[in-house]
Parts: sequence; structure tokens; C-alpha cells
Amino acid sequence: MNVEEIVKAIEPLKGEVVPVRTIQETRPPEDFADAIVAEVNVKAASKVIKVLDAAFPRDASMGHLRRFAKRTMLPDHLLQEIEADTSAPANNGQTIFVVIPPPLPDVESLQELLAPFAPVPRRRSSATPPANPPLRSPEPQPPQIRILKTQVPIYPPFTAAQGEKWTKTMWPVVFNPAAPRSTVAPPPQVLTRVQESIRPRSGFYLALARKVAEESKQTGRGRGVGAVIVDPSIEDRLENQAWRDDTDSTDRWMDAVVSVGGDVRYARSEAGASSQTDLHSGVAPNPASTIYDPDLEGGPDLHALMRAAELVARRRREEGDHLSQYDDSILPVIATDPQLSTKLSPLESHFLYEVCGQSANPEPENSVATPLSPKKRKHEEANPEIAMASLDVNLEATDSVDPLTTLPAPPPPTAAIAIPESTPVIGYVCSPPDFWGCSSPPETSRIRTRSQGGYLCTGLDIYLSHEPCLCCSMGMLLSRFRAVIFPRAGRMQGGGIASEPVVHPTPGDWNSDSVAEDEQDDEIEGREYYGLHWRKELNWRALGFEFVETDGAGEDWEVDVAEEGDGEDLAFHA
Amino acid sequence: MDEPIAEREITPAVSENSKHAYWMKEALKMAETALEHGETPVGCILVYEDKIVGRGMNDTNRSMNGTRHAEFLAIAEMLLSYPKSALNSTDLYVTVEPCIMCASALRQYRIRSVYFGCANDRFGGTGGVLNIHSDHSIDPPYPVYGGLFQKEAIMLLRRFYIQENDKAPKPRPKRNRELNTAFDSVPEIGTAINEGDELPSS
Repeated sequence: MNVEEIVKAIEPLKGEVVPVRTIQETRPPEDFADAIVAEVNVKAASKVIKVLDAAFPRDASMGHLRRFAKRTMLPDHLLQEIEADTSAPANNGQTIFVVIPPPLPDVESLQELLAPFAPVPRRRSSATPPANPPLRSPEPQPPQIRILKTQVPIYPPFTAAQGEKWTKTMWPVVFNPAAPRSTVAPPPQVLTRVQESIRPRSGFYLALARKVAEESKQTGRGRGVGAVIVDPSIEDRLENQAWRDDTDSTDRWMDAVVSVGGDVRYARSEAGASSQTDLHSGVAPNPASTIYDPDLEGGPDLHALMRAAELVARRRREEGDHLSQYDDSILPVIATDPQLSTKLSPLESHFLYEVCGQSANPEPENSVATPLSPKKRKHEEANPEIAMASLDVNLEATDSVDPLTTLPAPPPPTAAIAIPESTPVIGYVCSPPDFWGCSSPPETSRIRTRSQGGYLCTGLDIYLSHEPCLCCSMGMLLSRFRAVIFPRAGRMQGGGIASEPVVHPTPGDWNSDSVAEDEQDDEIEGREYYGLHWRKELNWRALGFEFVETDGAGEDWEVDVAEEGDGEDLAFHA
Repeated sequence: MDEPIAEREITPAVSENSKHAYWMKEALKMAETALEHGETPVGCILVYEDKIVGRGMNDTNRSMNGTRHAEFLAIAEMLLSYPKSALNSTDLYVTVEPCIMCASALRQYRIRSVYFGCANDRFGGTGGVLNIHSDHSIDPPYPVYGGLFQKEAIMLLRRFYIQENDKAPKPRPKRNRELNTAFDSVPEIGTAINEGDELPSS
């Protein structure tokens, strides 16, 4: 069966696409700081606020803390402290407690500031005068404000339960279900849209990723791990085409694949010696895959994700005279092809070169200029989290002598994500024959060139047979992918994307306070959960999805392709 | 740019009079070379049995591949002459704290130890953002020593970021920028400087 037939025969995985929650969603950050609690006259509450806000500008991020608490709302430790404190003058009970969050003022100036709002002393009945009234100085003592210390959470509560717990133990807090999301997770509407856009064809791409994985394994070049890079803008066009032709938009799923990469960790020669692949030529799978011997594992630059991204880069480097401006003698090693990007497998070669310009090209070249196909894609919605390659392709740029000066701008990380509902989108632009600057027959690539706005893997999606290792997960971010998708059955101990153990039947269950539960499971599974696809600390973020196969179909495959050894899970980096 | 780095000064872990200084100066030379060639000025060397066995610099612009950081190039060069197992006895000197990707790669490659210049608060994988070198993993942890010649490393980065980035698809005008040559006194670990330096990110 030739490659094209293999691809056509691919049966999609069956199941559903679910978002991988962010680390901040699964482990709401808990951090606490010291705060001051002062008891004031309840009737002066609004004046107290004014005075405090003027003296100590308020930190808006502390909005989840209630400003005041009645005595009955105080947490137990404060109540006990008050009851145990006999030195403070008794008051008439008409008091309320105000919290001063950090940065903390010094207690003396706070006393001075709040002195006018001190609680009214309790009127003592004449029947029970103090036994021995102490001699008082002639000047009346300034009224003392009762000052207490507590801790407060510096982040808003993530769950109602967490809010209640903090209210009981620290200080009353407000739980707002909508508040925390924006800072710790991608906007729900963006997540939903991307999820919808990948859902129809994701089963095919993951099935292809497994074919690529199998190829790596059966050639002894690497472990059974594969990656497939897809251009969602071509998918959009497939959808539109299918809508116009009244056909099934999944029929031509393969047309949106821009690159596939297989694991080749055994195929690189070290110190001039034969590679593991060469040593065991004709033996598949490679005997090195039955164990985890780090000395035989190649390196993460030979993993599937890294190679798929490198193949996109390699294809783009071949454009024009990009490399002629560089002198390879500075870094001779780059000429040695350390990622084996010139040693393509049949599937890799097929998607990088052979399919270009045939089935992938259902529209005539000039259609991009017709009124039906607007050149510009509208940035409909601001999304600070995810940027997507601008498709404001200047077609005239193809005539330019210096493509670098006419490059359209990829958006900065604050730019909009554009997933038009109905706008036909230019997925790639076929180039005039002289574009490549050579006399060989032009190859139209699905990979957008630099002059067409292509930049790294911006706006592309990557489908993998396994959860990528931590190194590859960060490589995914540095390559600016839009989304990463892998089957849940392909989760790896050394993976970088999963954010929690598989314990929740319905991910996204917001109201379960399951932090403690999760921590227990961590120990059982013996892995770290990084959720690296979307971390607020990092200035590039992608969307992460797991594909949950129906009826646990992936388990069999997992044993067959990925886990050699004696049936036990073999830990390695995918 | 491909690797927006938020550099930070930290308390040096090793003295500038040690043999480590010699190696770090070699790494700085690679960062200089990177700057001359329009790459983010990060350089590194690998030292095995008191010899430089691999050199690397950031190569993301030339390669059009955002993952081609200095560490990968140095390792690739070393592997031309040495087996992977030699990395177990090899030290890395890199001018900027390894990013999360490289920190994980170094662990998978089983580097013996890592010496770096300035910390990287945006992407750092050995303390800057995450602690990939010491987290639970199937590979053993490695020690890191930061702060060696960090001012030199930071100045290289500042010289780079003040340029107009003509490799980026849309250069940002920076005519009004002036090179900041001032350093605060070396702060304690954990305090950031230079926060106002907005770095080009694409």
C-alpha cells in the first residue's frame, strides 16, 4: 500500500475532545498574608472607610475580602482572642471590625487615625463601681482601638467551599464564581470555538499521528511516538468548501496537514559510531525501546514534536535565499542536521513535499482575489491570551525582491484570535512559478512562507500520539502553536501538559473542592503536573486538549505501540 | 523576538576568580557572536575533562525554528565526537539561565551541572519560573549555580533588545531608546530588576 492509500484508509479515533484545565484551575493558588483587624464604632463605619482609603490606598486585588465583619462573623481564633483579652475597656457592643490588608501600616499611626472612631465605652451601672478606681492623670487618655492580627488569602477563592473555609478560619471573603477565571484560564468563548473547530477532524489527525508513530517504531528509528501539524485556516476553508459543495467536511481532512514528524531517538549517530537504528537494522521495534536507558534515548530534539516543528522550519528555510545571508562556518554543527530533518520517512516526506499542489489545492490560484474571498481576515475579538498568524497576506509581496521588508506582521501576544464563522479564509497561497527563485518546478507548500506571513508555528495545531514531554511542551510554546491535542490514553509520566490526575469524570467541574484529593493522587501516579500549555507566568500560551476515546479504545493501542517491556508501563519521554 | 528574556541579577554562586570564570567568558564570546549575527545573545559551552567539547548560541532566526536554543547546538556539536554518556561528566556554562525547554532537555541528557549568568524571570527553568532541574522526574536532578558574569550577560541582552528587530516580521521603531548601562547594587535572590524593559516578543 502506498502512502496515499495508507492515509486514505485511516479510520478516525472515536471519542470526544476535552480541554486540559490550567494548573491554576486545578490548583487554585493559595497564598496568605498578615492583615490587621481593628474594632471601631459601627456608626462611624463609612467614615472609617474614607479615612483608611485616604491614608492607605486600597489594593484592588483584595476585593474578595469583606471590608467589615460583625463580631458574630469573626473567625473563632479572633473571637477567642477578644474574649481572653481583659485589658481592653468594655464597650457598648455597638462595634464592627474592619480589616486592613497588606501593605500593613504601623500600629501607632493606625491607632491615631482610628482614634476618633473608637467604640463607645460601656456605661457602667452605678451599682457596681470599680472597687478601687485607679488614680487617673488629669488629661483623658486617648481611646484605645482594639487591634488584632490575622491572615488573609491574597487570591480570591476558587470554590464556594474554599471561600467558606477561609471565612471560618481567617476573615470573611466573598466568593464570585466568575472572578477567578479570567486570570487563570483562557477565555471560555475562545476555548469553545477552538474546541469546535478541532472536533470534527481531530480523530483523523490523532489516527494519523499513531500511523506516524507506528512507522517510527517499525523502522527502528525511534519509539512509537508521532506528531501531526495542522493548519486550522485550511480547515476553515475545507469547511467552507464542503458547505458550498454540500459534502462532508471531514472527507478531505488530510488536506490541512502541513507536516508530520516521527520520533527518531535511535537514529542519530554519536561520536561517529553506528546509531542504534543501524546497529539493529531490520529489527523492529528497536531493542533499545524495551528499557529506559538514558544513554540510548537520543535527546528531546529527536522527539516527534520537535521534529515536526523543525520540518516546518526546514521547509521555510528552503524558501528564497534565506540561508545565503548566514555563514555556516560560525556554527558548523548546524550543517550536520542534528534533528535529522533531511532524513524523512515516507509519511514525513509525503506530507512535507509530495502532496503539495495536488489534492490540497481545490481552489483556483486566483480565487483569493475574488470578492468572495476577502484578503483580510477580521480580528473579531480581542483575546490577550492567544495570538494567531495574521493572514493579511499581501499577494504582491511575492514579486518583491526582499521578502523580509514586506512581511506582514504576526500579531503580538496581545493580538486577536480570529476564527471567523463564515469568512472564507486563505489557508495558503499558491505561488507564481518564479517565486522560489529557481528553475525547478515550483512546489506549492501548505506551509505559509515568511513572505506569506508564516512565522514559526504560529496559529497551527499539533496532534500527538502521546502527551509531549516537558521539554517538547515548552518547545511547543516557543514554536507558538495555537493548540496541542493528544489522546488521554497517551498520557506520560514525564509529560508537560496534563494538569491533574484522571479522577474527575467531567473535567471543568468548578464547584468540587478536590485539592486534597488531587494531592493524594499525585503520590499514587508519581508524576508532576505542569499544565505547561497555559500558565499565567509565561508570556505565550496555547490551548490544550485531550482526546478521550470511547470505551477505552486507546488502551489496547497503548500496549501495542508505546509500551514495550513486560506489560508494565515503561516510563520514557515522548 | 523568539526568546523574550526578562533578565535578573542574583547573588553569584561562584566567584569570578575561579576557573568557572574562564569558562563563562568563553560562553560570553558565543553570546557576542550571536549578537553579531542578529540572534538573541545567549551563548554556552560544554566542558568535559577540562576541554570545551561543544559551543552553542541562539539560532532561532537563522533556523526559523523557535526551539533552536544555544544548549541544543552545543550538545549536538559534542555528540559529533562523544557519546551521550559523556554528558554525565560534563558541565554547561550558559550566559542566561536555561529556559524550561532547555532545563528539561539538560536533565534528559543528564548534564552533570549547570553554571549560568543572569536569571530569566520569564522562561527560566532552573529557578526563574519553574524548578525543572530538581523537580520529581524519571531522570536524576542536577545542581545549578547562577550569577557568574551576569552583568555582562545582561548588557549583551540590552544591546540586542535596543536594536530594531529587523528579523521580526514587523520591526518596532526604537529610535528613542537609550542603552541602560546602570546596574542596581546586586540584590538578594528573588528580587527583580529591569522590569520596565519591554521586550519584543515576536
